[in-house]
Amino acid sequence: METKETIIEILEEIRPDVDFENETSLVDGNVLESFDIVSLVSELSDEFDITIRPKDLVPENFNSVDAMVKLVNTLVEE
Amino acid sequence: MENVLEWLEATAKRIPEKVAFTSETEEGSDVEVTFGEVYNLSRMIGSTIIKDNDTTPVGVFSKRAATTPVLFMACVYANRAYAPIDMALPEARIGKILDNLMPNVILVDKESFDSFAKLCKDIYPDKKWDVVVVDFEKGIISKYNDSSYESPSAENKLNEDLIDENLLQSVRNNAKPGDALYIIHTSGSSGRPKGVVTSHESLINYIDSYGDVMGIEESDRFGNQSPLDYIAAIRDIYLPFKYGASSYIIPKKYFMDPNALFTYLNDKKVTAVGWSVSALTVPLSLGAFEEVKLDTLRKICFSGSVMPCSALRVWQENLPDALFVNQYGPTEATASCTYYVVNHIVDESEVLPIGKAYDGYDVFLTELDCDSKVITDEDVEGQITVSGVSLAIGYYNDPDRTNENFVVREMSDGTTKRIYKTGDIGTIHNGMFEFHGRMDRQIKHMGHRVELDEVECAANSVENVTETCCIYKKEKESLILFYSGDATRRDLSLALRELIPGFMVPRKIIQLDKLPKLPNGKIDIKELEER
Repeated sequence: METKETIIEILEEIRPDVDFENETSLVDGNVLESFDIVSLVSELSDEFDITIRPKDLVPENFNSVDAMVKLVNTLVEE
Repeated sequence: MENVLEWLEATAKRIPEKVAFTSETEEGSDVEVTFGEVYNLSRMIGSTIIKDNDTTPVGVFSKRAATTPVLFMACVYANRAYAPIDMALPEARIGKILDNLMPNVILVDKESFDSFAKLCKDIYPDKKWDVVVVDFEKGIISKYNDSSYESPSAENKLNEDLIDENLLQSVRNNAKPGDALYIIHTSGSSGRPKGVVTSHESLINYIDSYGDVMGIEESDRFGNQSPLDYIAAIRDIYLPFKYGASSYIIPKKYFMDPNALFTYLNDKKVTAVGWSVSALTVPLSLGAFEEVKLDTLRKICFSGSVMPCSALRVWQENLPDALFVNQYGPTEATASCTYYVVNHIVDESEVLPIGKAYDGYDVFLTELDCDSKVITDEDVEGQITVSGVSLAIGYYNDPDRTNENFVVREMSDGTTKRIYKTGDIGTIHNGMFEFHGRMDRQIKHMGHRVELDEVECAANSVENVTETCCIYKKEKESLILFYSGDATRRDLSLALRELIPGFMVPRKIIQLDKLPKLPNGKIDIKELEER
């Protein structure tokens, strides 16, 4: 659960206006904009010491907090 | 050449079947509009919005689609300036733009109509303007003239019967090169957007000069990045008309996904782009070029803010045969006034010049405290000042700010000129202009012009906010807002989203007990910048 809380913290810092717990269409629903993604990728990389590659930047990986948790967990294991 | 329609008409006659604009639906299929269709449809819609001798501007609400330039050209056929407005802006912001325009006619595409009707009911319940709704898919044009927007007062099929040749001809006979072509709204420090009015002759001069510098040809395919309501989109709209080239309107979401973006550019065989600097730097920070390369892109112009040479170098290394051009200039000088062709592989620590004036532009430096004193010496800082045919007509419905920024001066070299003071500081070095920052608190953020004063002005109007100070961290490309008061960060962020466009809302909001002050009582911006 810790990963999830950290990710929510990061997201809320970038976009305090969004209800991240319940959103499942963050990218496809145009909730996050490109500069949000840029900030997010750099924060996640620093926080979890991971490298997010271009092939990871598909909407499915960023549409919800759970999807991001899954992505981060996979990348941490690599 | 007196009217931009001459380009469209010549090209539509020569290659009517060629696709001019392509966009993508949500489902991923292409929407294409040919030159012949742009010509016919814009004369149909144009005929319906000609009304007596009314030449007031038309507000245009439309989505990011291949059909949007048709709506613009319809206004041009009616010889009325079009003012594009992004339906995604906050209601309060759209309200300010409409308050400035007070249009008699508004053109809306079907996709934007529901949001538009809701907005009007919310903020203009009694306003009666003529609203013309175009459904390109079904080929229907409808008119609404009461404020309930429930049933149209007239509905017609979009076909040739709508074209009123005599009316179009009489409007055309009265058109002059100096007539207003479009109005584009930009950030204003008081919180009121400024509507920059540009004429046909200014646009024609810019497109001619830009086309020459970039070596544009009929075989070029443009990748459009700029929002269509934004100044940079004029290249992607008018270069096709002039050269018979095609524009591809790239879905916004691809700019977050470099592989998807590059795959799109390769699939569409895009050869030329004129993008904001951040559209080139953001994909790099997300790993562009690592997994997908670019095959067809050869002409790249960038503008909007200072290009970091570390990023430019990566682009140059990946596209060794491409032409790179750095462009500079304000909306008030028709998109850009100077250009610099990058003629060598840049060094990471280098600062790119903004170059020399485009043909037809008169660009010079004036003393920082005296706008009529021209600086001719090299390496002396002055205010970058523009004169000549590409100056805007002024700010729509705003004589005070027009007279403040566009002034007629008897210059120290003996000439009398109408000049626009950019507020930018520059020098001349080896005959090339260099950019040295702003005289005020305007910044460029992700390709958009942002007045820090405007962000503060919006934040100060939020309940339980006492004092605010907005700063910009250039190296992180981030806007930071400091504030004092009882409002929570979330409340403040939510309130800002209803007042100003998303790109202006700071992504870092920091609450302080009180803001640091200088001895004179002003907020100590330096101290905040060093935090």
